[in-house]
Amino acid sequence: MNKYFRELTVAAALVLLMLALAVFAPHFFQFQPFISRLTSQMPALVAAIGIALVIISRQIDISIGAQFSMCAVIAGVTAASGLPLGVAILAALGAGALMGALNGLLVAYLRLPSIVVTLATMAIWQEALRLWQQGRLLALPAGIKWFGCDQLTGQTIVISITFILLIVAAWAMKNLAAGRFIYATGTDAEAARLAGIDPQRTTFGVFVLMGILAGLGAVLNLVQSPQIQPNCGDGLELKAIAAAVVGGVAISGGRGTLWGVLLGMLLLANVNPALTHFHQPPYWEKAIQGLVILIAVMADGLRSRKNQP
Amino acid sequence: MLARHEVVLVLVILVEVLLFQALGRNFLVGRNVSNIFRHSVEIGLLAVAMTPVILTGGIDLSVGSMMGLCAVLFGMMVNAFGLDPWLAASITIAIGAFGGGINAVLITRLKLPPLIVTLGTFSFFRGLAEALTKGAESYSNFPASFLALGNSDIAGLPAQVWVFVVVAAAIWVLVHHTTVGRSFRAIGFAPEGARYAGIPVARNTSLAYIIAGAVAGLAAVILVSRLGEARANAGIGYELLAITAVVLGGVSIFGGSGNVSGTLLGWVALAILNNGLTRISDYRIMDQPVASVARELSGMLTGLLLLAALAIGAATKSLAVRRARLQSLSKSPSNPINP
Repeated sequence: MNKYFRELTVAAALVLLMLALAVFAPHFFQFQPFISRLTSQMPALVAAIGIALVIISRQIDISIGAQFSMCAVIAGVTAASGLPLGVAILAALGAGALMGALNGLLVAYLRLPSIVVTLATMAIWQEALRLWQQGRLLALPAGIKWFGCDQLTGQTIVISITFILLIVAAWAMKNLAAGRFIYATGTDAEAARLAGIDPQRTTFGVFVLMGILAGLGAVLNLVQSPQIQPNCGDGLELKAIAAAVVGGVAISGGRGTLWGVLLGMLLLANVNPALTHFHQPPYWEKAIQGLVILIAVMADGLRSRKNQP
Repeated sequence: MLARHEVVLVLVILVEVLLFQALGRNFLVGRNVSNIFRHSVEIGLLAVAMTPVILTGGIDLSVGSMMGLCAVLFGMMVNAFGLDPWLAASITIAIGAFGGGINAVLITRLKLPPLIVTLGTFSFFRGLAEALTKGAESYSNFPASFLALGNSDIAGLPAQVWVFVVVAAAIWVLVHHTTVGRSFRAIGFAPEGARYAGIPVARNTSLAYIIAGAVAGLAAVILVSRLGEARANAGIGYELLAITAVVLGGVSIFGGSGNVSGTLLGWVALAILNNGLTRISDYRIMDQPVASVARELSGMLTGLLLLAALAIGAATKSLAVRRARLQSLSKSPSNPINP
């Protein structure tokens, strides 16, 4: 069985979906709406890249939605108080790094299970944000939307940043020692330790990186609208995890590619718009998402059972 | 009789009661005490049903979403199909058991990690509930005799508390006094060892998840009765509260140790926290009276409590391991060949 069977299957499914749309709903490919739709999917893709690294290292982080919202509000409040955009971006990335560091500390050094740790930190950040903002919608100053450029330039910037990140991350996972450490820690942390890798430091680093990426995603989301919505990160963790799992990242750790994550995200993110263009109701999205996670995980389970003696 | 952890919990509960009585208004009044229990029966049910699952070393993140789906299906059965509410309730509990069965099959037959399976069903069940109500509808036409379950008293206690007492007692007996229940801890402690010992691991683990699903269905019915409304967002966030109650109660998150009485104490501590914050109107936080931001504060404190309970559990475990190692070193026998 081909090593990249999963990624190829997802690519095939994506191509089929695009073909079906081209035949039955060609207005899906109209330039301006297509670019706008793609741009709106970029923040979730950034988060998915981060969560893929977390899952490959055999952990999980369900607090990324809350981190995303918190970073968005921090960036927005910083910008609204008159500070330049660069400072706001740094504030978002820094906040994400801190939140990720908290998760990393508890999971890597206190050896607590990541599911319950991130369940707890998710609640803490979500409720702290609600307490702070009371659901207010904050208006952003004019220079923030699309980085102060016109819409098409702004969209190009957002898409380019995301794809550069993807290419750099994919290259790093394959060629940098740190990337190998992540795969090693996810496959067998004890064997990694015996081979001279520090699994605690790797795990800590992965959570901090996840936080920074959540902050980056929040910034890319922020520049797309004139207001900050404090619930912009709702459901992000499921979207990102679904994209990663569909794209071939194994929940048991140690396996997965970022190209697979890209394919998974493109496939899943376009299910809803495709439904709209086929005139189907949109409220099936969450159910489809959950079903997709289950099917992808079942396929993984069946594949590893076949490989077991 | 009481483990050390449970003594600590009782002290925590006493401190909470004293604190809220001092800072809040009308906290220890009969009506409020009754409300503390009336409003937290659903969480309590989820927590006691979650205990066997966590004892086996697993987790079930889908119980809150199962509540939402069951609430919607129950509402449909009574409102849209005109079924008798008690019949609909029985069917709902069966549906919950079936949902738990889906988790059970994926976890025990396909050997998938409980984390990702229940994360998937967490999304799927909630998604189904939202799809069935087209994202907006709710059901609210329920007969008064049914609403009495959630809103009236029997012999001085809220009616649903009696239901909770029966279910909690049944699960307590199951976990502590039946061979099946005692196997839960064995499975959590060492699944392969349990299998070699002849325990039907797959069957018993499945039972834990099926019970969790069925109880989620029951909790959904009680919630609908109390609120008089069945909506797709029923039970959002409840899995966090249930898991916190269980971990606070001293059940190890890795499985293998803990008891139902601990979970019950953890649940009481959380219920009092939740309610007590709504009674504090004389103090302000971030320019708001505490009572009006009680939900947000209680959510944050629940998260912090969960982390604290986990950290303390990890610290005491590593202390115990270190103590055991020191003891065995000091008692090591001299070399029998060369004394």
